[in-house]
Amino acid sequence: MLLRGATILDGIGGRIDGGDLLLRGGKIVAVGKGLANPGVREIDAQGRWITPGIIDVHTHSGTWVMPLTAIDREASDVSEVATPNAADTWIETAVNAQDMAFDRALANGVTTTQILPGSTPIFAGRSVVVKPVRGATVWDMKVVGGVQGFKMACGENPKSWGADENNEGPTSRQGVISYMRQQFLDAQRYKHAVERARKAGGSMPPRDLKLETIAGILAGEIRVNLHCYRAGDIAAVLSVAKEFGFTIGAVHHATEAYKIPSLLREAGTCAAVWADWWGFKVEAQDAIRAEAPLLERAGVCVMMHSDSATDGQRLNIAAAKAAAAGRRIGIETPVETMIKWTTSNPARLLGLGDKVGTLAPGFQADVVLWSGDPFSIYSRPDVVVIDGAIAWDRSNLPEYPVSDFELGRGGVNP
Amino acid sequence: MRIVVSLLAIALAMPLSAQTIAVTHAEAWTMEGDAPVRDATIIIEDGRIRSVTAGGTPPPDARIIDAQGKPVTPGLVNAATQIGLVEISGSPDTSDRGSADERSPGHDVSRALNGNSTLVSLARADGLTRALIFPSPSRHAPFSGEPAFARLRGGADILDVANVGIYAVIGGGEWDRLGSRGAQWTALRNALDEARNGLASHNDGTKHRGKRAGSATSSKAEQGKKMLRAVVQGEAPLAIETNRESDIRQAALLAADYGIRVIIVGGAEAWRVADMLAAADISVVLDPGANIPRSFDQLGVRQDNAAILAKAGVRVAVGQAGGGIHASYNAGMGLRESAGLAVANGLPYAEALRAVTVNPMEMWGRGGGKLTEGAEADLVIWDGDPLEPSSIATHVIVEGRETASRSRQDMLAERYRDIR
Repeated sequence: MLLRGATILDGIGGRIDGGDLLLRGGKIVAVGKGLANPGVREIDAQGRWITPGIIDVHTHSGTWVMPLTAIDREASDVSEVATPNAADTWIETAVNAQDMAFDRALANGVTTTQILPGSTPIFAGRSVVVKPVRGATVWDMKVVGGVQGFKMACGENPKSWGADENNEGPTSRQGVISYMRQQFLDAQRYKHAVERARKAGGSMPPRDLKLETIAGILAGEIRVNLHCYRAGDIAAVLSVAKEFGFTIGAVHHATEAYKIPSLLREAGTCAAVWADWWGFKVEAQDAIRAEAPLLERAGVCVMMHSDSATDGQRLNIAAAKAAAAGRRIGIETPVETMIKWTTSNPARLLGLGDKVGTLAPGFQADVVLWSGDPFSIYSRPDVVVIDGAIAWDRSNLPEYPVSDFELGRGGVNP
Repeated sequence: MRIVVSLLAIALAMPLSAQTIAVTHAEAWTMEGDAPVRDATIIIEDGRIRSVTAGGTPPPDARIIDAQGKPVTPGLVNAATQIGLVEISGSPDTSDRGSADERSPGHDVSRALNGNSTLVSLARADGLTRALIFPSPSRHAPFSGEPAFARLRGGADILDVANVGIYAVIGGGEWDRLGSRGAQWTALRNALDEARNGLASHNDGTKHRGKRAGSATSSKAEQGKKMLRAVVQGEAPLAIETNRESDIRQAALLAADYGIRVIIVGGAEAWRVADMLAAADISVVLDPGANIPRSFDQLGVRQDNAAILAKAGVRVAVGQAGGGIHASYNAGMGLRESAGLAVANGLPYAEALRAVTVNPMEMWGRGGGKLTEGAEADLVIWDGDPLEPSSIATHVIVEGRETASRSRQDMLAERYRDIR
């Protein structure tokens, strides 16, 4: 299809006013002005805006499934909490594909999300990246071709859990860091033993799912998404990564990253941040809305993330709030920069930087046509395209409800 | 001694409150009618609005604030938040939201308010000047307690009006200490019956209005009962936080059976009974951004709830805005964002502004929230549309005085601004 005459933000800092976008065969074919129509459906997009599909690198969709019930409160699928080291878990084995959060995300322009395990364990397990399309299982939604993600956590969450009666695990920040180092040491030994056995043809060590996963982190095959708030916590874990020779993909929440931008920049580690979550816990006291513009200016790769099925519907609005807070202290951020925080930067974190998050020839056609400025509260996605197919069309809404869960329940339909 | 101190405080405050401020070139949303007054001059004197006139001339002694054609609105009013009661929600020793007193339905939140809280200064910087502060569920289910209006002037004392009504919560959920919602409705009706029966013996003629509604001499247990008597007399509203259609219908029945004023808070499925609520003159405080049910009580939650209710003639206000942490931690920004979402989902713009100014005042039987002659001078000058989260409140005036519009967050941002 050919979208004609829109304001196009390409996701990597470019802006074309009165621009055209040509999609064919699930890919982006051309972006520019006055494109010739090779005989495809044409949509008049004048007065509207086009961006890459929004990418949220931090959700618990399919595991923190609303409506919550007593079953979830008793035993949640968000994290495996039997041990502080749940490195052997794969969150995709828990995801409920009928979570209506996927539908809400899609209707609001989200085309890719990373589902992470929670932050209770220190080594919380593998993530899964999905597109919010309807399927019976998560494997109908799964995105392949990226880098395998992994979740780690520091600070209050793991230590508070460890301090609970009957739980095994460190009870202090220093304990958490020391626990990390011991697991990495064990994994290092395991990795060396495997490598020696492969090289010399000797016997392999007994297979260990936890060590195998953490060895994958050390080898750079698995990318760490680190839940951390305070500057000191972030610095401590960055030093652990340095000690063991791997790079942390992104610090999530990272509410004090603005105090230590050079540490993140030099480590090549991104920050995945909120605009305005703050104060609700002790380690979040110093969170500020201006974090994203401050980090952007300091040259840190920064992106918005949600951690919430509600806020995840409005990551661009989060970016708008962050930019406004920057303006309060004299830092202006243009829209073509803000859109990087919700498209190309998160795409790179997922190892999908050459596939999605950018409007350029050869990229997957994950595209949103917005009714207006994508940073305005009044704008809605008119059309959401995933892999070249229209996944959401506001002028031609699907039969409601969409998810199996909502079907046939009194109270839902008028 | 106390009197001397009070007089001194008044004397010190006089020169400030007496200052005349003129806001010029304003797009003034007076909340009279659906359109703003363009190029308005707003004159503020002695804590009140003296006049709002297009192209008016400011008095010679006035301090002039040039709005440069930008929107000026009444100070925003959050219809349900807990700022001033909580500092760090994850650390209960910094929270005063809920009462553990099993005997009293009357947890009086006005005695816990803390205007020095960082949540308050941030909300004010985001243009919030008033808020209905509600208590969390108490151990005397289904009652939470007695909400209060806060006015976000500077300093520790942010009490506007205490004991404005009774707040109760009904539905399914872990907070419930009575079991079935049937038992919860029965408990509420029993308490109202008791209050009605007690009217004859207890009615001392006290009007349950004013700064503190005659509760100074009451014991804690008596206080809630006194307020319940005000409810059955129709002098104070009963706010019921509830979401399921069946419960909202029960609330309407309750209002009719007892002839009392009821406000629904939450109201996820209120849109399903919009006409019934309009007929019963029941107002609704809601979060227009909600579109995912947190519990089975909210299965019908949808973002055009506000639009449907308003179209049917129900008075709506925005509260608990943004849900989760935003309801208190972003009591100003969350309110604006949620009102904007209501507009995006069909609520007329002027109606959305009313939902964050006049409506929350009216539903508690109070006036205000307007920029009209004689109105209390709480107003905000914006650098853009106040319902756009990307806009900034450039001046926040409370009680006729300009307040500090810098929050702790701004100070942290400035401190680290040049760290690279």
